[in-house]
Amino acid sequence: MFARKAKRDLTVEEQLARGPLDVPFLMLALLLTGIGLVAVFSASYASAYYESGSTSSYSYFIKQGINAGLGLIAMILISHINYQTYRIISVGVLAVSVILLILVIPFGFGKESVGAQRWIYIGPFNLQPSEIAKLGVILFFSARLSKRDTEKKAKWSKRTAMGRFLLFLDKIGFIELLPYGGVLLVILFLLYLEPHMSGMILILLVGAMLLFVGGIRLYWFFVGGGLAAGVLGLIILNTSYQHGRVATWLNPWADPLNDGFQIIQSLLAIGSGGLAGLGLGNSRQKFLYLPEEHNDFIFSIWCEEMGFIGAAIVVALFALLIMRGYWIAIHARDRFGALIVVGIVTLLAAQVILNICVVTNSLPTTGISLPFFSYGGTALMIQLAEVGIVLGVSRQAPAYRAG
Amino acid sequence: MRLRKTIKPTDRGAERQRANSSMFCRIIILMIVFGAVIFMGLLVRLFYLQVIQHDFYEEKAVSQQTRSTTVTADRGTIYDAKGNILAISATVQTLILSPLDVQEDNMDQDAIVNGLVEILGLDADKLRERLQKTNSAYEILRKNIEEDQADELREFIAKYHLSAGLYLVPDSKRYYPYSTMASQVIGFINADKAGAYGIEAKYEDELSGESGRVVIAKNAAGTEMLSRYANYVDAVDGDNLTLTIDATIQSYAEKILAEGIETYDIQNGGFCIVMNPNTGAVLAMASSPNYDLNDYSTLTDTELYTSLKSQLDSGTITEDEYWAQISSAQLEQWRDKNLGDTYEPGSTFKALVLAAALEEGVVDDNTMFYCPGYAVVAGTRINCSKHSGHGSQNLAQAVQNSCNPAFIAIGQKLGAEKFYDYMEKYGLMEKTGIDLPSETVGQLWSREDFTGDYGITSLATASFGQRLTVTPIRLITSIASVINGGYLLTPYVVQSVTDSDGNTVYNAEKQVVRQTVSSEVSSKVREILESVVSEGTGKNAYQAGYRIGGKTGTSETLVEGRYIVSFMGFAPADDPQVIVLLAYDNPKEVGSTNLTAGGYYISGGNMAAPMAGQLIAEILDYMGVEKEYTEDELASADVTVPNVVGCTEEAAAESLQSNGLSYRTVGSGATVTAQIPAKGATIPGNSEVILYMGEQAPTDEVEVPDLSGMTVNEVKEAFSSLGLYLRSTGTTDSPDVDIANNQDINAGSMVDRGTVIEVRFTNQVTDWDPG
Repeated sequence: MFARKAKRDLTVEEQLARGPLDVPFLMLALLLTGIGLVAVFSASYASAYYESGSTSSYSYFIKQGINAGLGLIAMILISHINYQTYRIISVGVLAVSVILLILVIPFGFGKESVGAQRWIYIGPFNLQPSEIAKLGVILFFSARLSKRDTEKKAKWSKRTAMGRFLLFLDKIGFIELLPYGGVLLVILFLLYLEPHMSGMILILLVGAMLLFVGGIRLYWFFVGGGLAAGVLGLIILNTSYQHGRVATWLNPWADPLNDGFQIIQSLLAIGSGGLAGLGLGNSRQKFLYLPEEHNDFIFSIWCEEMGFIGAAIVVALFALLIMRGYWIAIHARDRFGALIVVGIVTLLAAQVILNICVVTNSLPTTGISLPFFSYGGTALMIQLAEVGIVLGVSRQAPAYRAG
Repeated sequence: MRLRKTIKPTDRGAERQRANSSMFCRIIILMIVFGAVIFMGLLVRLFYLQVIQHDFYEEKAVSQQTRSTTVTADRGTIYDAKGNILAISATVQTLILSPLDVQEDNMDQDAIVNGLVEILGLDADKLRERLQKTNSAYEILRKNIEEDQADELREFIAKYHLSAGLYLVPDSKRYYPYSTMASQVIGFINADKAGAYGIEAKYEDELSGESGRVVIAKNAAGTEMLSRYANYVDAVDGDNLTLTIDATIQSYAEKILAEGIETYDIQNGGFCIVMNPNTGAVLAMASSPNYDLNDYSTLTDTELYTSLKSQLDSGTITEDEYWAQISSAQLEQWRDKNLGDTYEPGSTFKALVLAAALEEGVVDDNTMFYCPGYAVVAGTRINCSKHSGHGSQNLAQAVQNSCNPAFIAIGQKLGAEKFYDYMEKYGLMEKTGIDLPSETVGQLWSREDFTGDYGITSLATASFGQRLTVTPIRLITSIASVINGGYLLTPYVVQSVTDSDGNTVYNAEKQVVRQTVSSEVSSKVREILESVVSEGTGKNAYQAGYRIGGKTGTSETLVEGRYIVSFMGFAPADDPQVIVLLAYDNPKEVGSTNLTAGGYYISGGNMAAPMAGQLIAEILDYMGVEKEYTEDELASADVTVPNVVGCTEEAAAESLQSNGLSYRTVGSGATVTAQIPAKGATIPGNSEVILYMGEQAPTDEVEVPDLSGMTVNEVKEAFSSLGLYLRSTGTTDSPDVDIANNQDINAGSMVDRGTVIEVRFTNQVTDWDPG
């Protein structure tokens, strides 16, 4: 990526970018990736066996392994990038993601998957534009929010009514919100066209959390939260698809063979695991009972095989990873770094939480994969790349003083 | 930068510091919420699902993930006391047709039809119809196919390659080799192979065994995955039962019931229990009408069935009414009267009253009773069976006469409280606890009613066994306690339970509930009851060579004119080995003569006693109990006629006399030229042998006369002139009173001279008051 220069030739920032990365965060990420690979191997075993016509049980595992390998390489490389560069490319990433989101909808670039058009296929890889959009939002918001206190104050004439009105809006912080709100609305609208409910939820959540950390006044969150809840409610009430999801969530047993099937099978897997589980590789539910057992519902199989103890260990590792992530954010060299890390860590946390909530039927079913675990596409690569970004920020943290 | 680090104040320093500390706080909030609080919630949720609700989900999961196949256990065999098989299960085959596969594999339908019509005799048209049901893969063509037919079918299926569309599956069938014998005791199993009645129901757990299971993992597509996990639980075959019931004794009891029902025009069947009084083991228990266990739903009463069927066909009754009647008739024939019915025991109950009175010392051998032919209790006149009165009697005579006024007096001597105590001691308010289902309890007064001011009539009627009801098994068990030395026992029908490997898992032993009377009193009761048979109302039960004790009974029922005639007997009287209770329900009376069409006076002593006597003798013979003859009996016991042809008269006389025979001579030769009966014939002792001196014996046949209504002496006279010999049974101690009621060679038959004809004499007994 960049030629190795002699140390004396480096700028201060370049020297900082060669600092030590945060080992606990790296270790937690590697550990989860490793456990995730094992889980994919076990969970996909049966599907691979039956889909290949009983010839191979490893096809999913091998592909996921390749993804993980590429992802780790990307992670290491990206961790060496001076994250200040992201300031410059943030708008570009956002623009590219918007273009991809547009492409995926009407022009037939996407293939149909689970009743929604979310994927773009590039050679052997398939990519969800929403993944890029998440990154774009994080980088754009972080870059803009980090300059918040250095921005010039707008100057409107106090003499005109318009001017006074604009000054009032500026005073309550509304003007400041417009670029963020505009970006969010465009992306959410494009995702709504796919439709991609889970992507909408994640981007909205991450955007909101960045604004929260960035210092936006709290009352806007009440306004925005109320607005989001209202829109969500309207969507649920007006689309039978979402309405049915809620009904199924409240009582999956009403239709155990159709709508409730997947969530019931997930609960059977989790519940039958008990305290200690059936043992690694011994899942019974993976034998074609539980659909999507190696991607969205991989955690159910993990719970079945490893029991509550195994599930709790994974949950604890995720919790540690996320807390360490926020720790890195707190210790970041500047606001930009802190905000990027907050964005990425919050995105990870939201995905983990929503996924586990869905498989345990604590929330209505929506297609959110479990980071580092779920099989599928380039998600693992992108997640590891995001870990790389966090590690890159951690390199520039001021040396931690012992004592 | 470290956000908490104090930064040197610049122009914007303060603002920046405020912004940074706000950011620090807000990240901390996110860290707490996203990193800890929500994850704690997730852990709680997981703990709830995986640990608390584990069983619920595991059960549901396992039921969908596995295929469980039941392996049926063989039902145990039921044996009688001598090892004869009463009930046994065998494997049979069920023939299944899959029209779907027949069509898919394009099998030869004509071959199927022809083959099955030939082997099983199925209806060709119906079979073709079923072959057209091509959306079905499971049509049961025939159940209970036995092994030889199954072999034929297997050959046929193999020959035409039909195994995908036509196949046999094993099933089990219960066989009852004795069909109707002890049907209510044994019971049967229903269509679900579970015991429905009798021992089959009571011992369901032991007999049925435990079915095994094969559990195999399957995937969601239903494919079995043998390599995943499989669990095999072997079936445990049912235990075998050995009953105390002896098929031979049971057949005697059923034969006696059937004979009596035929002879006495009995309209409502009867019941009979034979028990070992010393252990409570039931040797036979018969209830009539019975039914064929192999075909339990078919009505034994064919007349009723035909009549119902014709009523249904003619539209007189609806289908619902028809089935209601059929099912009530089925329930009737399945019910064991010995356990499920209650009746007023009548005079048989006096045995219990007698024992109680002796035990309490309120009567003894010398107690005298005066019977004027009635007794007045609480202003009501209660008649005695003998309207003219029995006059003055001692205790034994009162029992022999079955005198009601005497027993009313005994009851009053006991007093209501004591009397009630004994009814409780005898267990009359309790079930016996026999190991059979559906035992009921009779109805008795409450203690308050019985001992209260209005109880005096109840006490009087209870003294001769009326106005209270008991089940037959209850009565015989209670009476057994007063003749076996005083022990009230729990009766039982299952002697032992052995598992399929032959290990005995249970062996019944005598179970004493309590002592009712002392052994001295018990011995006295036996003595008095023996005199009832030898001298009293029970004399028709008399059997030469056996000391039988007993008591007759004629019970009233709630229906006017319907009586239950019964006899309770035991033998040998000094050491009872067997106790019998035999009863016939409702002899058909002609007009109001109190006689049946056959001329039998309706009473326990006339009907049940002679039958019970025969039954007891048969059972004792079978059990090998030695006969003990009295001197009189000995004299008339059968002897073998020696050969005296060629002897002088003196030599012949000596030879005959040493064998207990007398003789008369015909002709005047010096030596005997012929004798009747011929040598080797068996004739009763004291009979007269005819010796022909120098003459040939007549070889013509003689006609058997009609003896009915003749006294013993009259019969002897008639036979003597014809050269026939009498073997008398029944009561012969009053040769001018007892009358013949049965002869083993019918009147009008032609027989050789010297033939022995067995004649049964009875003594008309009036042991109750029909008016």
